Amino acid sequence: MATSRRKRTPRPGATPPLGRRPSGPGAKLGSQAPDLRRVFLFPLVLTLGLLLLSLAPRVADNARLTFAFLAAVAGLLVWQGVLFARLSRAGATRGFRVVLRPQHYLQALVQLTVFAVWGWYWRPVYDFAGLLLAQLIFAYAFDMLLAWSRGERYVLGFGPFPIIFSTNLFLWFTDDWFYLQFLMVAAGFLGKAFVQWRREGRRTHIFNPSAFSLGLFSLVLIATGTSDLTWGQDIATTLTFVPAIYLLLFGLGLVVMYFFRVTLVSGFAAAALFGLSALYAAATGVPYFIDSEIPAAVFLGLHLLVTDPSTSPRTRTGKAIFGALYGAGVFGLFWSLEAVGAPTFYDKLLCVPLLNLSVPLIDRFVRSLQSRPRIRRLTEVRWATANLVHMAVWTTFFAAMTATGRTDGLHRGDMLPFWQEACEEGRAGACERLVQIEASYCADNAGWACNELGAHYVEGRIVEPDAELALGFFARACEAQFQAGCVNLLDPSVVSRAPPRPLDLRLLLRQGGLNLIDMPEPALYERACSHGWQFACERLGMEVR
Amino acid sequence: MRLLAVFVAAALIFVGVWLDYRSQMARAGSQPLDAEGIAPAPAESPAPAPELTGYRADLGHLPDAPLLGFVEVPEGPFLMGSDPGIDTLAYDVERWSAAQPQGVVDVPAFLVGRSEVTVAQFAAFVEAAGREVDPQALAEPPLHPVSFVSWPDALAYCRWLEELLRESPATPAELRALLADGWRVTLPSEAQWEKAARGGDGRIFPWGNELRRDKANFATGRLAPVGEMACTECPYGLSDMSGNVWEWTRSPWQPYPYDEADDREGLESDPLWVMRGGSFADPVRNVRAAIRGAAGPDVRRQFIGFRMVIARR
Repeated sequence: MATSRRKRTPRPGATPPLGRRPSGPGAKLGSQAPDLRRVFLFPLVLTLGLLLLSLAPRVADNARLTFAFLAAVAGLLVWQGVLFARLSRAGATRGFRVVLRPQHYLQALVQLTVFAVWGWYWRPVYDFAGLLLAQLIFAYAFDMLLAWSRGERYVLGFGPFPIIFSTNLFLWFTDDWFYLQFLMVAAGFLGKAFVQWRREGRRTHIFNPSAFSLGLFSLVLIATGTSDLTWGQDIATTLTFVPAIYLLLFGLGLVVMYFFRVTLVSGFAAAALFGLSALYAAATGVPYFIDSEIPAAVFLGLHLLVTDPSTSPRTRTGKAIFGALYGAGVFGLFWSLEAVGAPTFYDKLLCVPLLNLSVPLIDRFVRSLQSRPRIRRLTEVRWATANLVHMAVWTTFFAAMTATGRTDGLHRGDMLPFWQEACEEGRAGACERLVQIEASYCADNAGWACNELGAHYVEGRIVEPDAELALGFFARACEAQFQAGCVNLLDPSVVSRAPPRPLDLRLLLRQGGLNLIDMPEPALYERACSHGWQFACERLGMEVR
Repeated sequence: MRLLAVFVAAALIFVGVWLDYRSQMARAGSQPLDAEGIAPAPAESPAPAPELTGYRADLGHLPDAPLLGFVEVPEGPFLMGSDPGIDTLAYDVERWSAAQPQGVVDVPAFLVGRSEVTVAQFAAFVEAAGREVDPQALAEPPLHPVSFVSWPDALAYCRWLEELLRESPATPAELRALLADGWRVTLPSEAQWEKAARGGDGRIFPWGNELRRDKANFATGRLAPVGEMACTECPYGLSDMSGNVWEWTRSPWQPYPYDEADDREGLESDPLWVMRGGSFADPVRNVRAAIRGAAGPDVRRQFIGFRMVIARR
């Protein structure tokens, strides 16, 4: 096995490599052994760190989680043992090159900020910190051994941070299935190392590593109907717990845009989504997404998932096309996933690998555009501050969206009365969406929603009548303390309805998951009134807004 | 070749994970929630009840008696509520109105179970319908009254039994005819329960006006098998109308005067359903025939069970 084969020009900020093979005339094979041992101390320490983390109460209390850690530790130990023996026999050695790239540590800092703020409003994020650390340790050891196995020096820096953070901003497996999380991390690094092509004269990975593993695992989870093994749905919805989440993501996105010139990717993705949503709403009279014009998790994705500079086009026109395709892709995938009954939170994940694959096509298309003099003149407009100009345009666009209530403001897709009315009026897809939203609230034990569902299944106006299902929903409504559900359960031939009770309102008005348990009743009714609940307005003596 | 190895490795990992998933699901005895967020029936059913002498295993362990243990309560008026002049233990909520202590209610004929529903009977339902219930409901001996059942659990049992009686060729012809005529197996209304307990003469206890410790299981701190304390003095020979377990009714809690037409009123208030008869854990004051208790529909307690009626809708 060859040692480091390529001569590299030292870069500013790079420290001298560790564990280099002695190359003087007096160098002997035997003298290399201590070097190799020293070098292998790194993965060994990382592996022992992972083993140490398995003693943490959360891991130790769950046999399957402990198994996941021990399996990861065992795999790493076996790998480094075999590799060490092989390299020792061959007299080869391996080393590091320390390179601290801003695209790694800045991205990581931005992602860490999202975790910090999100966790403040949704505790499971902080509780997950130990498992996040475990993945980082595993990623470093795995990436290191992978590089050495391929005869390369390991580039030590912050590379694994954005990969792990980016993966975990979108998908975690539950503790019982955490070994799949380690597999997902491994898949990301394997994809980066082995799935490559030649681009602009050098070999480079095709896929954004985190998007590759997320896309691959999402496909399997959808195909096997096992999304319940993950926290995917919760992750997608709990971001909205953070007040002004869009403003926060926008602000953090500006940092990424400023340093890595990805404004066109994010901006065009957002514009495409806003535009398509607006077109859909204009055509059908109902919003496309439920919680916003762009779901918060998608907004996060278009800032932090799709903006990897090394797997996206380099030209400005290419970036704009890439971003617009991401927006259109998410839009289409949301519809497709909903149509096949799969969880829609995969929408932002599935299209990134496809887009990564389309980069040469986009590049070719841009080149063909530029071969036409008129268009070339347009695309070649170069201002020294082009990115700043793009950022200014994006900021204006976002401000306009915010001012018109399309980001953090109240969204009509979140209002049940809106869907009831839209369903009554026969607007496209409104009844299906109404049933879907009520089913989701019923699953959260909102008795009012269960009773409404039961009523739908008795009446058979917007769903196929189903007496058994109706009784099931009435029983659930009744157990959730909704009296109309009880009397309907007793005699479903006459359907009784009642307005939501405060207990129900605390669930129905959460907008994705805000905790309204302690909200005083007057404030609750005020909130209900602002969400279109007429009975609440009447109770407050207010007009419906 | 290398590509093939990658595919084989990926396939092996996938198969391994899938087998693990299947075994975990089988061990949990559950499957993912369906689209409505409702869990399907549990994979493991309760152990079948042993053969019980005097009960029909083919009919959900109902008594092997004429009308399967149901007793007819004839049509007619009865005195409902308490007169504190006669019953010094009466609560205010048993008073008919400010103007009069008791009221006369006319109740059409119905059939009522001689005993409370037993653990064996409820277990037959759980096994057949695959319903998820509180495991404690099935923990007592087979002939004890079932407890730890919610109000919807009790109604679900009644619906299941009605279906069984309609479909089974072993159902007595008289019951079959009633069901064909639109009668339903359900919980008693408050009026049906009280009439079945005290008849038409307004007595304090089902057996009369005097306290008898040999007629009811109350203040003992333990459940007793149904019918252990026979009551030949009771108007219709029903057992455990006083004590053993409180019995769910199909009446929502409403202040008197009683009127079944009010049952769909007050839908925005806290749901409370009337239960009657007191339990093994109650003092004498709570096992009088006119006692009115109430609980939320989701409440499951050791001292709450139910009995059925067959009545015209």
